[in-house]
Amino acid sequence: MEFIRIITRKTLFLAIFLLFSFMTPGVDAADKENCLMCHKYRQIGRIDEKGRKRSYFVNENIYANSVHRNVPCRDCHTYIDKLPHDPVTQEVNCANECHIKPPFSNDNFSHKKIIDVYNRSVHGTQEDDSPELKAAKPYCKYCHLNPIYTRVEEQRIAFEETLGRCLNCHERKGVTQAYKHITHRLRSKTSRSPQEIVQLCSKNCHADLVLMKKLKVSNESMEAVKTYNESIHGKAVGLGSQKAADCVSCHATSSIHDIYKKDEPHATVNKANLVKTCKQCHENVTERFAQIDVHSEIGPHEKPVLYSVNVILGFAFYGSVFGLIGLAMLESYGRRKDGIKMQILHGTSWRGKSKRDKSK
Amino acid sequence: MPGEPKRLEHPRSVYIIGFIFKIITLSVLIAVIYQITFSPHGPAVLVPIKEKIEESQKSAILEEVRQQEEYEKHRHFHHVVEYPQLPENMRPVCYICHSDYPHSKNKKVRAMLNMHTQFFVCETCHIQEQPGISVTYKWYNPLNETPKGPFYGTEYDPETGNLIEVEDQFSKISPFYRTGDKFKSAIQIQDSALAQDYVKVRDKLTPEQRDNVKKKFHVHIKAKGHECKVCHSRNGILDFRNLGFSANRTIDLEQLNIKGMVTKYESFYIPNLFSE
Repeated sequence: MEFIRIITRKTLFLAIFLLFSFMTPGVDAADKENCLMCHKYRQIGRIDEKGRKRSYFVNENIYANSVHRNVPCRDCHTYIDKLPHDPVTQEVNCANECHIKPPFSNDNFSHKKIIDVYNRSVHGTQEDDSPELKAAKPYCKYCHLNPIYTRVEEQRIAFEETLGRCLNCHERKGVTQAYKHITHRLRSKTSRSPQEIVQLCSKNCHADLVLMKKLKVSNESMEAVKTYNESIHGKAVGLGSQKAADCVSCHATSSIHDIYKKDEPHATVNKANLVKTCKQCHENVTERFAQIDVHSEIGPHEKPVLYSVNVILGFAFYGSVFGLIGLAMLESYGRRKDGIKMQILHGTSWRGKSKRDKSK
Repeated sequence: MPGEPKRLEHPRSVYIIGFIFKIITLSVLIAVIYQITFSPHGPAVLVPIKEKIEESQKSAILEEVRQQEEYEKHRHFHHVVEYPQLPENMRPVCYICHSDYPHSKNKKVRAMLNMHTQFFVCETCHIQEQPGISVTYKWYNPLNETPKGPFYGTEYDPETGNLIEVEDQFSKISPFYRTGDKFKSAIQIQDSALAQDYVKVRDKLTPEQRDNVKKKFHVHIKAKGHECKVCHSRNGILDFRNLGFSANRTIDLEQLNIKGMVTKYESFYIPNLFSE
């Protein structure tokens, strides 16, 4: 009886939703239940009881171009079960199964597999984590906003030509998105630029030393952002390089989410795996090469030799730049004092007779 | 050198080359100075001083607001789009105290009411009818005396079924007092004399005095806005067709099922219907 009661309710619920969906023209494929009827307006939202701005707006044109465009709203927002719905208190669980079948598979799609990898990593919440640590650990949405399909502009993929071949058999609308879905992953290890990755890991997290101290991270982690920025990789990324190593290049495999502390045997930065990790970019890597400190604080007590070399090189660099400028300024000052004038037009730049030059 | 002829009148190219070299030298110098003082990639010798100055000017409220905005971006997941905002002085006077999210009391409909602030100014709903004065509703844009449209929300894109994107981001439906053929805006912007005067002196007023002045702003304002059906019905106060809404959009707005959902909420929502 209970079962029939539930079925009846669900059917009635579905019928009401379907009724609404037929009443407005042109609803998106994923929005059969017509949630966008209200949520497509940008001012839908409120200031909540704690004084925080809450926007419930979903831009329909952007959503239709995002990777989730075919996922019905309630596949993620499973807790919505009536209209108008109650204030939402639950979070979306990305490990849910949705009503999308991946190609060549009969199973419903789910992010569960990668979430399992993530949960085992250093960022996954563990039972013995302190409440502060649990709150500080990033969740899916912290790093992943609903991604939009982007096409790869690099020359390695002749976008139009290759897509043209797909169109021989497939419909344009679906296959264009699917094609972009695959090709944007061919760009590099991550779809994000190294600059975005560094920003993502640092801002509000690893660069927030107050937070890091509260979470009792190791000294090395405390200094990680600073020492990375001072390293050759950090400087190259800071100057705009798209090839230099960012955080994920070294700290994760191609599953991106498997970041571990370096003492863990499967960490990419574990001593045993370093050669392999460096080899991703540096072809002829030896054990000796892998011993190089990539980013660590160079203090006078811990690493006296490196520290001295660092200081000497610093002096050599700043010394040569400021030394040359200093010399030029001293020379100018001396000439002016001697009464020689700087002249830009009509001939040499310095004119006049030095007071000290008694020979003339 | 003595005896050598003086170098006079260099060709123009020499000056150009000299200029280019000076620019290069100057940029190298600036880069090196930045590297040594503030850059996160160098010794950052001046960063502690900068941090000290920032620390002394820190505002806990400002910090929290910024943090919340960042948090909201991640919580929201669907893209938070930044839309252009009107300059402060051109905004309706209501904005001195209220925001774009003014409704917060009625839990069932507050987000839905706030949604309407995209389409019209506060007075469109909250204006107090006065005997003998007729009110007409027109599109109003503080930056453009006669906005031509197309306005957001008036048309569907036939291809996608979505509402068409428009250039005009500021026009809202707004009440006008009508005398003969002349229309006079029924709303005040922050540039108005009263508003400017209030902003100037509000810190000097006692709380009671401030309340008095606020009442002045609300003379022709009623606390409770119109019911949904005042606009969302066949003969509502907004003439959707005249306001430029397309035929199918007009029908959708006049027969808006959402209106039925809200006003008939009690009968629609049968308690326990969907609970398991």
